[in-house]
Amino acid sequence: MNDIQKAQYNEKYKRAKRNGEKFFPDTLYKDLLIAIALFLLLVGLAAFIGVAAEPRADPSDTTYIPRPEWYFLFLFEMLKFFPGSIEWVGTTIIPGAAVIALLLLPFYDKNPNRHWKRRKFALTFMSVVVAAMVFLTIRAVITTPPQKDVGAVATTLPAKIAAGLDFYSVQCNECHGAEGEGGVIKGVKGLEGFKMKPINSQDEMYTRSDDTLYNIIEYGQPSLGMPPFGKAFGGELSRSDIGNLVTYLRYTWDNRVELPKEAAQTNAIPTLGPTDIPSYDVNIAPIVKRYCVSCHRPGKENNNYVMGSYADVMNSGDHKPNVVPGDLNSNLIRMIHREKIDAGGEMPPTKALSPDLVAIFERWVKAGAPEKPKK
Amino acid sequence: MISKRVFPWLDERLGLTTIYKTTLDRMVPKVNWWFTLGSATLFLFVMQLVTGIMLSVYYVPSPDKAYDSIEYIMTGVAFGWLIRGIHHWGATLMVITVFIHMLRVFFYAAYKYPREITWTTGVFLLLATLGMGFTGYLLPWNQKAYWATTVGTSIAGSVPGIGDFILRALRGGSDLSAVTLARFFSAHIWMLPAVIIALIGVHLYLVIRLGISSVPKEND
Ligand code: HEC
Ligand code: HEC
Ligand code: HEM
Repeated sequence: MNDIQKAQYNEKYKRAKRNGEKFFPDTLYKDLLIAIALFLLLVGLAAFIGVAAEPRADPSDTTYIPRPEWYFLFLFEMLKFFPGSIEWVGTTIIPGAAVIALLLLPFYDKNPNRHWKRRKFALTFMSVVVAAMVFLTIRAVITTPPQKDVGAVATTLPAKIAAGLDFYSVQCNECHGAEGEGGVIKGVKGLEGFKMKPINSQDEMYTRSDDTLYNIIEYGQPSLGMPPFGKAFGGELSRSDIGNLVTYLRYTWDNRVELPKEAAQTNAIPTLGPTDIPSYDVNIAPIVKRYCVSCHRPGKENNNYVMGSYADVMNSGDHKPNVVPGDLNSNLIRMIHREKIDAGGEMPPTKALSPDLVAIFERWVKAGAPEKPKK
Repeated sequence: MISKRVFPWLDERLGLTTIYKTTLDRMVPKVNWWFTLGSATLFLFVMQLVTGIMLSVYYVPSPDKAYDSIEYIMTGVAFGWLIRGIHHWGATLMVITVFIHMLRVFFYAAYKYPREITWTTGVFLLLATLGMGFTGYLLPWNQKAYWATTVGTSIAGSVPGIGDFILRALRGGSDLSAVTLARFFSAHIWMLPAVIIALIGVHLYLVIRLGISSVPKEND
């Protein structure tokens, strides 16, 4: 802009101000209205959408699909057009050029006009850029594969304890027993006859901090026979999983902390009224999960009797059927009564099921071993 | 009675009337609602400051404790979920408003004489705002945070020549670690806010000094 143009502009601007309004309150009240609206919007978003819970960071879990914050997605997507050795064009040249172009805009845009009709090139150019950004963002959203479902993230204490119990039942039961009571191990490869100390004792809980328990589970104690469970060491548990497991151990076995009522309720095995008919879904599945699945799942020593579903419980194993509806001489019933039969020894091998759990199994088989509860 | 004596006394020393005259009691051109986006951004920034300061009371910037401290904010602190929710959504909204604010300045040619420096400080504000988003994303130390930052910093590492230096400067080593978290935390709560506050100061000084531009007419 030359001096004449500047003078012209200043003259026009003075006129616009003279015909204008008072900043306070005429202009400011609009800003105030917008601020109030934004505040309400924020509270609404926080209250009704909130912040999605995510699992704990886990450097060993490389299956996680990285996803930047949405307003960086367009950059991320643009990089896909610059693969391999020309990646630096997408990461350096284009963003760098864009920033410099923005910074210096007022200095190289010599067009003195301000109305859009006289700035068609600039406006078209910017519109194309913005459209490209929107396009890339949408494309990124559509093309990124969905995250592998990690299930709901437990955020409340009862939910964590419940999740921890599930992990305990599946992963730890076979060696440490359903209540961490230990005893002489039977039916576990490599540890047959090992006398396992109880890990639910006061001695154990008072002298092992949460961090210690965490490390024992993640890293294991391989030379003593305890395998590692952390993904980083070849196990199946993520950091969040191990955290929940430790929470479960602490709240169930440490007599200095109290198990929340709600957690005790969700963890309890459903009880039966005198006339109720037990079903697999409601009554048997929780017992099986807690006391049997740890050994009776693929990859373990169990005569190929996997107990993950109703069909498998009814119809798998080297001596199948192990459950015959109506027949109290079924293998399963005899074995939980601690008889030694062709199919194998006492089940669970180390510690007998409590009489009321055995009774639930019996009533279930007698009633025809139904899968779904009767209405 | 008292105010009649106190106000002139204060005014004589603080110049309150002058401040009032130069900032509030001035004529500006009649403008439309698009011109509220700057102050909307300012409002959101102040909200981020307030909620961010509250979060910093409970947040612990260490890989061992960050996740748990966030969880505690969400479940253990009274209205912690609200504060975090506002901070979370405020960040998103602020990026939106700052971007549209820039577009409105562009489409009305408000970056031209005499507002060139207002624009330049604005571009730095945009970059700093994005920097806040990038550094804040890591702080919850969850899966999303960890992996997005791993990828984000490695992108910075692909700059020819100095990439490796940038990568190490960001991460404080070759991998994401406690040092990375400490750096991002410090950038997020000290360095970038300081930069933003200083830039907003200059930005607003210029907006008041030069006056808000008028909506261009056909012959402008
Ligand atoms: C394959 C068998 C096996 C499995 C499965 C197993 N452990 Fe162990 N665990 C052991 C052995 C063996 C020891 C060592 C016992 C000893 O020192 O007497 C042990 C020790 C422990 C200890 C005590 C360590 C100490 O120093 O006090 C804890 C706690 C423990 N395990 C927890 C778990 C948890 C939780 C799980 C499930 C994630 C689990 N274990 C699964 C075999 C196992
Ligand atoms: C510590 C591991 C372990 C636990 C816990 C366990 N089992 Fe077993 N189970 C085995 C092994 C090992 C066999 C193979 C036979 C044997 O060695 O006795 C087996 C075999 C069986 C069989 C015979 C399968 C066939 O077709 O040959 C039945 C039925 C059975 N278990 C039922 C149960 C039930 C019901 C529970 C839970 C209440 C349970 N088991 C808990 C280890 C376990
Ligand atoms: C934290 C970020 C920012 C804040 C808080 C902010 C705040 C403001 C405010 C309150 C105004 C008064 C007019 C209006 O509200 O429209 C304004 C004007 C202006 N802003 Fe920003 N701004 C920010 C970012 C930016 C960016 C990213 C740019 C451009 C790259 C920019 C360029 C300008 C210009 C040129 C003006 C003068 C406009 C005119 O006079 O019409 N600002 N800004």
